[in-house]
Amino acid sequence: MTRKQLTPSKPEMAVDIGGLIIKNPVMTASGTFGYGEEYAPYIDLNRLGAIIVKGISLEPRAGNPPPRIIETPCGMLNAIGLENPGVNAFINGKLPFLRQFDVVVIVNIFGETIDEFKKIAEILSDAKGINGLEINISCPNVRKGGMVFGCDPDMAFEVTKGVRRLTDLPLIVKLTPNVSDICLIAESVEEAGADALSLINTLTGMSVDIEQKIPHLKNITGGLSGPAIKPVALRMVWQVVKSVKIPVIGIGGIMTTRDALEFLIVGARAVQIGTANFINPRAAIDIIDGIEDYLTKHNCSDINKLIGTLSTEAGSYQEQCD
Amino acid sequence: MQGKILKNTQISPGHFLLSVKLSEAFQSPVPGQFVMVREKGRIDPLLGRPFSIYDIERGKGKVVVEILYKVVGKGTNFLSMLKKGDLLEVFGPYGRGFEISLQVAKVILICGGIGVAPIAFLSSQYKKLADIRNVELNCYYGAKNTEYLVGLEKLKKHCSCVFISTDDGSMGYNGFVTELFANDMSSYDLEGTKIYVCGHRPMLKRLSELLSGKHLSCQVLIEERMACGIGACMGCAVETNNTEKMGAYVRACKDGPVFNMQDIVWS
Repeated sequence: MTRKQLTPSKPEMAVDIGGLIIKNPVMTASGTFGYGEEYAPYIDLNRLGAIIVKGISLEPRAGNPPPRIIETPCGMLNAIGLENPGVNAFINGKLPFLRQFDVVVIVNIFGETIDEFKKIAEILSDAKGINGLEINISCPNVRKGGMVFGCDPDMAFEVTKGVRRLTDLPLIVKLTPNVSDICLIAESVEEAGADALSLINTLTGMSVDIEQKIPHLKNITGGLSGPAIKPVALRMVWQVVKSVKIPVIGIGGIMTTRDALEFLIVGARAVQIGTANFINPRAAIDIIDGIEDYLTKHNCSDINKLIGTLSTEAGSYQEQCD
Repeated sequence: MQGKILKNTQISPGHFLLSVKLSEAFQSPVPGQFVMVREKGRIDPLLGRPFSIYDIERGKGKVVVEILYKVVGKGTNFLSMLKKGDLLEVFGPYGRGFEISLQVAKVILICGGIGVAPIAFLSSQYKKLADIRNVELNCYYGAKNTEYLVGLEKLKKHCSCVFISTDDGSMGYNGFVTELFANDMSSYDLEGTKIYVCGHRPMLKRLSELLSGKHLSCQVLIEERMACGIGACMGCAVETNNTEKMGAYVRACKDGPVFNMQDIVWS
């Protein structure tokens, strides 16, 4: 006689994002969650799949003069200017706070030259308590006339390879959507040894004050985020999932459980929540709960059985893999 | 937390008084603190809008927060069309509020336009918070015209005197509140008073010129465009000249919105 389970067991939510197992597929995106301190009074950081801290550079950066943000339809533009305290102040001043929690900490890094990327990666690989690196290649390479690393497959390859050689930490590369063919960049970065990809970063945009006839942002252009970019992000994740073998983490306009599920269904192994944190500090937690509810309602015991189950005329992606 | 609108009344052209019922878990704010408000379920406008707290009433099992606001753009326009019973999401209270000085006998309040909101709340709380009965609150309040003097009654109730200016001369001094104050400056022992200010940047800049070189305590409440309101997005940057202690920029939402006047670069 079989013993009936009185309490149905919770669905398995853990996912592998390239050699790094996280307890659930919901991560907070770089630049939207600070270094955790600001959100700690409002949510239990231990519940998050991972925290990706705001991008760190070698030296401190003051950031751009204001105005730095402007709301746009269903979104916002930001030109913060990568303000951060620099890698040493991060390790000594910010990391200890995060290490109080049982949460995966991934450090987003950027540089103006490949050498800078390598230096930061080296310093962070020696620091205790960091579970992974996410390299932001949406910044300009000042040695190549300011061309954005992530806009050229060769530069994207070089910077990824440079960091790869110096660290055994799980390495995620964050791709910019401001390219003609994101799959080319994705394939190049996979070849260079990335453990996973995260996309998309913001879309470059602009907004104008018609009375003063000046841009709303002091920097003139900025990065667009929020619900407005979700269809673009979703399409790019779907395309990249089909062109690489490494895990893909979906970012872009995820506000609700529904949004997160769309990304998982097209094949994202995990998702990052960004702008939604500004609207609702509990957004990431609500989405974790929502995904769990969805799996339970659909009698799905393991999140990995949902990932990549999009059905198109070509057959579902999962079927194509078998 | 969820808030239910009890009242959203137009009190003068473009100016509204919003009354929101919140759960008693809402913490009592310090004057100068603000809340982020957005319409529940709406994604356009997307971001919450920051509003200084104008008043708060605690009762059995509930809290009612009052916000005095002006329609200046998309967010406030949508807010002005909401009705009794509509639901809001209210986050806060956030930010560094005004520092009340204990045992200081004379206080000067200076506000312009909708900047009256936090100053009026401050005036209503001052005696209680300063634990002193004889504090003299002298208020300088300026607006475009008589209709825009929306916080006047509240100020008159709590201040020893209210000096008024209007740009069009329809009430009080004909000109800016800064010039009205400038005319009176010599009659005060400024170094022995606490000054609290709220208004738009040109007003704050002019006051910093008037008060420069004087060794005194002047707190200003600065408004800046915000996204998160809790210090994470770094969007509401304000330039400081206290770079040793504060770095080149501080956050209006978390390091402020109240700052010492001498710490800010007024451009």
